[in-house]
Parts: sequence; structure tokens; C-alpha cells
Amino acid sequence: MKQTARIKRFNKTDRIFHLFLMLTFLVQSVTGFSRLFHTTGWGRKLSAFLGGYETSFLIHQWVGILMIVGFILHIIYLLTKIQWNNLRASFFGPDSLVPNIHDLRHLGQRILWFFGIGAPPRFDRWTYWEKFDYWAVFWGLPLLAVTGLMLMFPLATSRILPGWSLNVAVLLHKAEAVLATTYIFIVHFFIGHLRPSSFPMNEGMFAGSLELEEVMSEKPAWVERLKNEGRLEAAAAKRPVLWYRVVYFVFGYAALGIGVYLLINGIIYSPYIQLH
Amino acid sequence: MTAKIRIRKLLVIPVKMLLAGAMLLPALAPAQEEVASSIRRYKGYEASTGYYEEYEVLPQRQRPFVTIPGVKRGVFPYSPAAAEVRNRSRLADSHLGIKFYETLRCETCHIQEARDIHTVRANLTCRQCHGGEPIASINHYYSPMNPIRRHAYVCAKCHEGASASYAGYVVHEPLAGSLKAKNSFPVLYYAYWFMFVLLVGTLAFFIPHSFLTGLRELFGKKGLPGNEADSKD
Repeated sequence: MKQTARIKRFNKTDRIFHLFLMLTFLVQSVTGFSRLFHTTGWGRKLSAFLGGYETSFLIHQWVGILMIVGFILHIIYLLTKIQWNNLRASFFGPDSLVPNIHDLRHLGQRILWFFGIGAPPRFDRWTYWEKFDYWAVFWGLPLLAVTGLMLMFPLATSRILPGWSLNVAVLLHKAEAVLATTYIFIVHFFIGHLRPSSFPMNEGMFAGSLELEEVMSEKPAWVERLKNEGRLEAAAAKRPVLWYRVVYFVFGYAALGIGVYLLINGIIYSPYIQLH
Repeated sequence: MTAKIRIRKLLVIPVKMLLAGAMLLPALAPAQEEVASSIRRYKGYEASTGYYEEYEVLPQRQRPFVTIPGVKRGVFPYSPAAAEVRNRSRLADSHLGIKFYETLRCETCHIQEARDIHTVRANLTCRQCHGGEPIASINHYYSPMNPIRRHAYVCAKCHEGASASYAGYVVHEPLAGSLKAKNSFPVLYYAYWFMFVLLVGTLAFFIPHSFLTGLRELFGKKGLPGNEADSKD
């Protein structure tokens, strides 16, 4: 088999965090949908599959706590990655996920490119939609966590806040969950799996590396920067072994299948959703 | 010059005196804090008895005030007593005078109220909370639903340890996006529309964005690294 040059995209910790988020998110989606659609036959079937309404709720609560722990660990990880003696580079450098003015420019260029008016933007390490993916989780998770904890401990919550805050918490929790699931199952899955340049799967998050040619076509500024800084050779990576590729392809497509199944049924039964 | 210095001194001296005075003031006593706080003031006692010393009080923050349409009171003018109930909220028999009452079911009139989380998810019936006939208005003094005792007489039957604040949970809440909610439960209304705009806005941007990306990649030539928009950067 011809060996193509590859470039390292994500380190092990990033990939473990993503895997953790994938698993917990899918569990929360299934258990959450079983509750959200409990008034429908499909919702009840989903509940029954998970051991019943109460059991599904219990799983949802414990996995929610696990997600909160994961988020805290991620914050700690971020703190260790910050260059405290060079905060500017950490927050606004090209390797940072913090949105900047270039993202706006790239968005404009990309829109022009969509319609064949301009050339594609030269992305650096992160595209603006990748940054959006990251920050959507980053603000969405605390919102789900806070409202989820409020609903898990309503009596304790009502000692601090008035009881009607629970009404608002239910609404926010459900609405944010619907937003997160629809975004991930439509947009993220399409970008990661189905768009022509990713099909059948963008392997970066599982293999940790991507083919250099693929990266060159979408993120030329990043490759150029690595070259100029003399870091390109150090970023070279090996192709993952076959059995590992098989595992993550099966796993990735299983996740995609679950997501699409939930999405289609969610759309069919959407008239029965009560956000509060 | 001398005059300027003199003026400055004249200004500095009172400021210093004020600072010294502030530092010499005694710290806030717990009693003062307790009285001043709208959240903590005799909360438990008021909530469980409905009395503070010899005065009848209503649990703070869950005051079952009667709202006047168009007139808002407080930042969150919602009453657990349901804002639209104005005239019949203090009757011993809230259904007194309704024709053919005996033949009617609760959901005949209270359609929305009969389909909330308690009835749909927990299979509760109306009477399990509202009691038997005659059903008193929720603000009638002897009603178990009266906010001064609702938490103990009604909520705590299932939610052990429920407080007056907990009973402020709006069981029969209005539809979150409705004008009714805007008037009676504005926080819920604005939370709903904020999330709605966020959801629709996010999807309205990213679905066409993804679709166009797919379309462009499928039919268009990919831009070569040397030809990108800002290769001169």
C-alpha cells in the first residue's frame, strides 16, 4: 500500500476528551429523548429499552455528573496548556481556538467561494466552524450542567432561588439540549462524515492525524506556518494500523446511525415536544 | 499657588474624615442584615406559619398578589396563584354558580391545566392536589393550596421537605412563548424566545453553510494552495 505523508492534528488528550464527549453526549441524547418524547409511543419504547422511565432518568443524571467532571478536567487541562508568560499568544495566537477578526474575514471569503466569486480562504490551524463547534459545547455544557443540577436537586435549589426558577431551568435545559442535538446530528455529522472532502469520515479526531494533502487543500496557512517554523517534520505522523481504523470507522458510523435515528424520530415526533 | 494648596487641603480633610468615619462605624450586625434581606428574613418561620410576630404575612417572593392587567409589580410579576385569576381566587367554593357543574369534568374548562407535567408524567389527578368538593379557590384562607401552606399540605405529599419557595414552582404555567406568558411570567417568555432565536439562528446559518460547502466541494474545483483569497497575507 502506498504510504502518504500525514500530519499530526490532535494529541491523545484531545482525542480522549472527544471520545468521552461523544459517548456521554450520545447517552444523554438517548436518555434525554426518551424523557422528552415520553408522551409518544416512540419515547416510551426508548424508555423501555433503557430499563424504564425512572432508570433512564437515573442514567441521565449520573452521566450528566460524569460530563460535569469531564468539563472540569477539561478546564484544568486548558489551564495547563496556557503559556502564562505569553498570554497574548495563548489567547490570540494562530493555535488558539479563541475567535478573532480573521475568522470573520474567512467567513466572508468562504461565502464568496460558495458562489464561485472568490478563492477559498487560507485557513490556519482552526477554521471558524471548528471554533464554533468548540465554543458551542463550551457554553452549552455549563448551561446544561447548571440547569440539570437545579432539576436534580429542586429542594436545595428552592432554598436559594424562588421555586419558579425551576420552570425556567426546565425550559433552558430542554431547549439547549434540542439545540445541541440538532446541531451535532445535522451540521457536525455532515461536516465530519458526509461532505465530499471528508467522506467517508474525517479521521483526524480518531487517528490523530490527517493526510498532508488533505490538510494542504483546506488549511494551507497552517502547513505553511509549520514549514516556516521548521516544525513540519516534527508534526509528521504514521498511518494508523488497519484494525484500529476498522474500530473507529465502525464506532463512528454507529454514532452517526444513532444520531440520525434520533434526529429522524425527533423530527417526526417534534409536535409533541413540550419545552416546559 | 498658596490658595490652590489651601483649597486642596480643604477638600482632602473632609474626605479623610469621611473615610475615618466609615472605618470607625460598627460592622453590620447580623440582626440588621436579617431584617434588611428580602431573601432570608424569617423565611422559615413566615413560610410555615404565615405569621411574623402577630402580623399575618405572605411568604416573600411567592406573594399570591392579584395582578391587574397591564400593571406590573416587581421585576418578576408572577404569582403562583395564576395571574389571570383575579375575581375568583378567594372563594370557599370557586365553582359556585357554574351551570351544570355536576356534569362537567375538570378538563372541560381547564384544558391546558389538565395536560401539565404532573398529570402527564406523574399521572396525578386534579383532586389529588385541589381536594374534593367544594374546591376552594387557591387563595382562600382555608384552602390547602393557599401559598402559606401549599408546600406542606400539597407539595410535600410527594416532594418531602418542600418549602414555601419550592411551592413557587408554577405547576400550571402558561405557554412559554405566548403573550399570556409575557404578561404573567416574563422570565419564562424571554428565556423561551432567547433560546428559540438562538436555535433557529444557529441552524438557519449552519445548515445552508454545510449544504453549500458540500455542493461546492462536489461540483467545484478545489482551490489550490497558491490561489487562495489572501495568499498575499
